Amino acid sequence: MECSLFSKPRDLFLDVVNPRDYVQIDSVSHMYQSLKNSVQKPLKMILLFGRPGTGKSMLLHKLHHDLSKHQKVLMFDIPIVDEDDFLRVLAQRIFGHSPREVMTLTRFLEIAEAVAYADVPIVLLDEAQLYSGSLMEKIRLISDARAIKFVITLHKTDKEDIIAKEHFQTRIWESIELQNATAEELKVYIQKKLLKANCFDVANMFNDKNMKLITALTKGNYRETNKLLFSLFSLYYWYEENNPTLIKYNALKLKWIEMAAIHTGLIRA
Amino acid sequence: MLDIRNLERRWLKYKIKSYAPHIAFASVGAVLLIALPYIWMDSDKPKSPLKTDRFFSTVSKKAPEIKPIVEESPTVLEPSMDFVQTFQTSVLETKRPLSSTIQTTKPIQQEVPIPKVLNLPDTSSLKTPLKSPPIVSIPPSDKSPSLNRNESKLDIESVERRFKDSSNPSLGLFIARYHYDHGNYSEAYNFALKINSINNKIDESWIIFSKSLVKLGNVEQAKKTLRFYISESNSESARSLLDSIERGTFK
Repeated sequence: MECSLFSKPRDLFLDVVNPRDYVQIDSVSHMYQSLKNSVQKPLKMILLFGRPGTGKSMLLHKLHHDLSKHQKVLMFDIPIVDEDDFLRVLAQRIFGHSPREVMTLTRFLEIAEAVAYADVPIVLLDEAQLYSGSLMEKIRLISDARAIKFVITLHKTDKEDIIAKEHFQTRIWESIELQNATAEELKVYIQKKLLKANCFDVANMFNDKNMKLITALTKGNYRETNKLLFSLFSLYYWYEENNPTLIKYNALKLKWIEMAAIHTGLIRA
Repeated sequence: MLDIRNLERRWLKYKIKSYAPHIAFASVGAVLLIALPYIWMDSDKPKSPLKTDRFFSTVSKKAPEIKPIVEESPTVLEPSMDFVQTFQTSVLETKRPLSSTIQTTKPIQQEVPIPKVLNLPDTSSLKTPLKSPPIVSIPPSDKSPSLNRNESKLDIESVERRFKDSSNPSLGLFIARYHYDHGNYSEAYNFALKINSINNKIDESWIIFSKSLVKLGNVEQAKKTLRFYISESNSESARSLLDSIERGTFK
């Protein structure tokens, strides 16, 4: 068993979306609560958008994790781009119907009408910008028929804004935008994550100066922060084994943060 | 697996790169900060006195650098007819040493080491034209200047003009001798007569006058004139000429 102080924190920041690793931050928590409220409303479609690494996928996974206990929720974290496959998977996993014939939209709506759940089933679509326009049009028709309620996430780019305008603008009843984290939010995120795993000593090493540098390097991007911290704790792990006298336990070394940033490609050197 | 050594190297490179603009900016700022008071002081001072001060300071500091100017002076002092004429106008000027002349005419060169001036190769060339023409000696009692004999027509005309202006018997004697030597006996006779009217105690003038008369065919007139002059001055040269005319040996 590893007895290193930094091996556990290193593994905590592996870039894996796991709803159990969800960290409660004030702003994100507020977003999540509003998202949860919106889902309870009789809305056709909910849009969750923001720049990459703002926690959209994590929020969607958390929602799936929480809602699946009470109602029918289906999560598509990997998009199914083929229209027939998409409708077939929906019919099978939500309505328990797997027709042998070709699945058309009409046929799908017939199945949905035949089953008719008391609570409208929820489908969570991550990375919706990868779906084709024609499939998005079918998704819109399905939501209009109130057969399924969709919560979709989009990256916030110019192109994706156009998609949002064309397909969802008139139909979306709720849209939630996620922002990049501030230095304070990022500090709370890191420390909560470490404290959750009982890494108290390491959590205390993060001071404001460290967080300012980390935020500047990652631009408040959670994914980049995870990658940076994974590299940073890997560095600490190496120094702990090879040159422990260099480690100062009251604060993180700015030099090593920058070295980790060079390793992850945040700094080009 | 992390390559820590490589990462540290890359980090060092990155730091140097990131600090380079700051260092450059700081050094430029420091240079400006140091230079600013001097620039400010310069702008406060009036410009013209500063320039003269600088000029004199550089001249005094770099005295040896004037050498080229001194070396150029020989070209200015190259002999010419005008230069010779200035020597002819005054006896004192011809007798003055060359080095002193140069020093008086160019006072600025006194600051410069004198050997530079004296060792000039052109000083010999200066002396040459002074020595080359034959100098006609005039009796010291007349305080006449020693004149350079010049063969050119232009020069003799110039001397004639000067004789006309000054009525200097020494100049007249030079002209008379010149004409006699060139076979212009009537001219020699005229100038000798003019000299005698100015000063009748110059031997050579009476002798040229008499010799010109002989050459013009007036032998008896010449003898008569010489006898008269010998009776007045008891001149040995006049007597010798009279003897040679009488014996028929005068040519």
